[in-house]
Amino acid sequence: MIREKWVLILLVLFFSITLFAVRNGREKVNDRITSIEKEQQKSNLSETLVKAEIDSAEQKLKPLPKESWADPRSLINVAWDAPRVVAMDAQPLTLISTGQSDLFTHYAKPKIYGESYTLGFSELSNPVQLLFGSFDLAFVCIYLLPLLVLAFSYNILSSDKESGVMKLTFSQPVSIFSWLLSKLFLRFIILSGIVILSILVAVTIYGVDIFQNASGLLKVFALVLLYMLFWFTLSFLINLFGKSSGNNAVALVAIWLAIVLLVPSIISQVSNSLYPVPSRINMLHQYRVASDEANKRADEILKSYYREHPELAPKDTTQENRYAWILSYFASADIVNQSVKPILDNYDAALAKQQASVNNLRWLSPAILVQNSLNEIAGTSTAHYTAFREQVVDFSFVWKDYFKPRMFANELMKASEFKDLPTYTYSDADIKKNYAADLSGIIFFVGISLTASWFVYQRYATAGILQAD
Amino acid sequence: MILKIAFKELKEIVRDGRFRITALIVLLLLVAALFVSKGYYQSVNAQHNEAKVNARSEWTGQGKKNPHSAAHYGTYAFKPKYPLTLIDNGVDKYSGVSIYLEAHKRNEAQYMAAQDQTALSRFGDLSPDFVLIFIIPLLIILIGFNSFTREQESGTLRLLKSQGVPNWKLAMGKWFGVFIPVLLIIVPVYILAAIFLSGIKDYGEFSLGALTILFGVYLVYYAVFTNITLVISSLVKKSNVSFVILLGLWILSCLAMPKISTAIADSLYPYPTQVEFEEQITEDKKKGLDGHNPWNEESKKLEQETLKKYGVDSVQQLPFNWNGFLMQEGEKHTADIYFKHYQLLKDTYVNQSKVYRATAALSPFLPTRFLSMAISRSDYHAHWDFANAAEKYRIQLVGKMNGALMNNSKYGDWDYMEDETLWNSVEDFSYEPPTYASVIGTNSSNLATLFGWLVLSALVLYAAVNKIKIA
Repeated sequence: MIREKWVLILLVLFFSITLFAVRNGREKVNDRITSIEKEQQKSNLSETLVKAEIDSAEQKLKPLPKESWADPRSLINVAWDAPRVVAMDAQPLTLISTGQSDLFTHYAKPKIYGESYTLGFSELSNPVQLLFGSFDLAFVCIYLLPLLVLAFSYNILSSDKESGVMKLTFSQPVSIFSWLLSKLFLRFIILSGIVILSILVAVTIYGVDIFQNASGLLKVFALVLLYMLFWFTLSFLINLFGKSSGNNAVALVAIWLAIVLLVPSIISQVSNSLYPVPSRINMLHQYRVASDEANKRADEILKSYYREHPELAPKDTTQENRYAWILSYFASADIVNQSVKPILDNYDAALAKQQASVNNLRWLSPAILVQNSLNEIAGTSTAHYTAFREQVVDFSFVWKDYFKPRMFANELMKASEFKDLPTYTYSDADIKKNYAADLSGIIFFVGISLTASWFVYQRYATAGILQAD
Repeated sequence: MILKIAFKELKEIVRDGRFRITALIVLLLLVAALFVSKGYYQSVNAQHNEAKVNARSEWTGQGKKNPHSAAHYGTYAFKPKYPLTLIDNGVDKYSGVSIYLEAHKRNEAQYMAAQDQTALSRFGDLSPDFVLIFIIPLLIILIGFNSFTREQESGTLRLLKSQGVPNWKLAMGKWFGVFIPVLLIIVPVYILAAIFLSGIKDYGEFSLGALTILFGVYLVYYAVFTNITLVISSLVKKSNVSFVILLGLWILSCLAMPKISTAIADSLYPYPTQVEFEEQITEDKKKGLDGHNPWNEESKKLEQETLKKYGVDSVQQLPFNWNGFLMQEGEKHTADIYFKHYQLLKDTYVNQSKVYRATAALSPFLPTRFLSMAISRSDYHAHWDFANAAEKYRIQLVGKMNGALMNNSKYGDWDYMEDETLWNSVEDFSYEPPTYASVIGTNSSNLATLFGWLVLSALVLYAAVNKIKIA
């Protein structure tokens, strides 16, 4: 087998494709890391400047501005000028699968103005890129790897039959089934070795420490190898029908098309009908109606004009609390928030339910199972982004809640307090992991394929395979 | 002679059980896709129409309000859906459906459908365009991969040649033998689509001409694939090899090239992140006239100029409300800032399109897909056009509100209120898409590339059949 020239060509091609795919993943991850770092640097600089101003004020090195709201020690200025960068850091293995990472932004800087619920999470992008998708390692494994497997195994039985070798083999007392299986297994082992080596080399070239990330990589390999095994057993099954190599090739390509292209897109289409996504537009209308009513009540606390432009509200320096105007703003905004929160929460719950139902449909195709787990290992699944959004909103409250009580107490910021400001670190610990389930799903498909093979063998063994054509 | 050959080819193909099953499956998929698409289209459209009515009634039913507050309240512009998106939904799933129009801010379109869906949706939907642009070429390959090679393998090519059949007639006959079965599938689908689309009432204007052009583009695409299939079949000796090569070309053309082009476009012309984009705008806003803080430099200059122009000493003496005027000038300035930055985004998009146009030379799939989306009004260009129209409307709406503040109220009177007379005086947002003529114009290079593929592949086919060596 190795002696054939095209085999070598295919393997070299596969390696280059793997390299290209991992390179693309690396570039995307680098962009993400760079933009988060840049933002973090800007934020550090702002904090340093604000701290320096406060320090000067405390040490009476500079005269205080006349208006108290321009005082650098004002909590409003600190909260506004030195917000935290709430970032979803890339994981070491993020480069293997783009997943949903091209749809969403990876960092936010929640301030104390503006409603947290209207924080946008879209990332700027050319939608054509989103439509066409990425050439990442996940694409190579899900779509192209099966073709490699099929290329190595489509004629495992038929070529021997066609060349007449089979008659020689079976003149010896050998069980056909076990002989076939061992042949298949040998190819599986060889191809697996090549694929694993390719991936290891590619990720090492692009900066992954394979020893530190051994467990993640082992998970990837288990997934990929089982997926390859599934395709090998399919090849086995088709070969047992005893048809010619040409027939096998066409049949297997048709099956590849069905499992990798047609079934997932059919399921995706069907899921839209079975479990339609709750209407955002509907929610929008309810939201507007609810906030309209709440605005009327909020007007009693603070006129709408000042709520739209809090910076214009009269900053009466004779008032006892320098933060009176923004506290009124908070109070009035809270009324509106409380009104619209149930609508937004209902929507999120409905969406979560719909997504859970759709997730259950992944059991219908091994390609979907592999995609799901690769995204999970890379940290780019829908669940990861939903979790990040929730963490951002939660942090925006933590940030606000740090300042609010201090504002009520009419405090000023001290330079020494900067280390007490709330901080954020992204964590995916609370996300439900489906890897084990997905892996068993693929094993199940392998099992089905092998069982079907056994039945076909029983029917055709004595009749078909050994007949000289 | 050509017809005789074509008929013989057709007979052989139709007798082949594999073809019958495959063609049936493809037809079923297409019809199913059409039905599902129609259902989805109608429900989304109903939602949009309801949303438009809601947005308008929310706007006109605001009650008494300060006009500037009304500008803050704003309204929504909903992107209309066009009948041909039933065939090709293009990038609609990846672009937002509504734009919030408010004072001082130009917003991005919100509620991208793909963000609410799971990763499963990234596999693609079984929409008609999926079958038409992805699967039918495979069908062509299946029908034609052994068109010449089976004649080689069975020895009938020698017989044909001994009868003195000219090469080009043989090729034409085989060409029709492959193309006609495809027509047999496409024509009923076209008729079905035409019936479906013309039966959809009140949901966008349907143009039979556009549908015909769309299917015309697909037919050119299929002709290209037919040429390529026959070229490979004639150059190669064995059917198996022909099949593998053609499959490889299909994978390269339809699966790999789009993704490779995306990787290149992203590398060469990356987009800024959303946060970066917003911060650049904020920077520019800080430096420029913002219409709010009366201590801002530019506004002071404007104040001096205006006072001089009207020959008065203070803004209270102006014949209009200075605050309204200031707001509007500020709004214009902000709109200019937004325009500048959005134009930078558009430039990035235009540059990325250049990359796609270049790689279209390596894949007939790319120009076909772009043309298909453009004619269906579901490409990114259509989205930009809508977003720009919404922005024009926003400026006009806010302008009217600030104008009312300026002319109808006195300086300092923030309690001044207008009522529904003013709200109703702003016309509802209505959007006219670009004409099909201009759509074709914008996509002229894609059209040229596709025809280039047609001509080149035909020439190569002509050359190839003349070089056939009998095995």
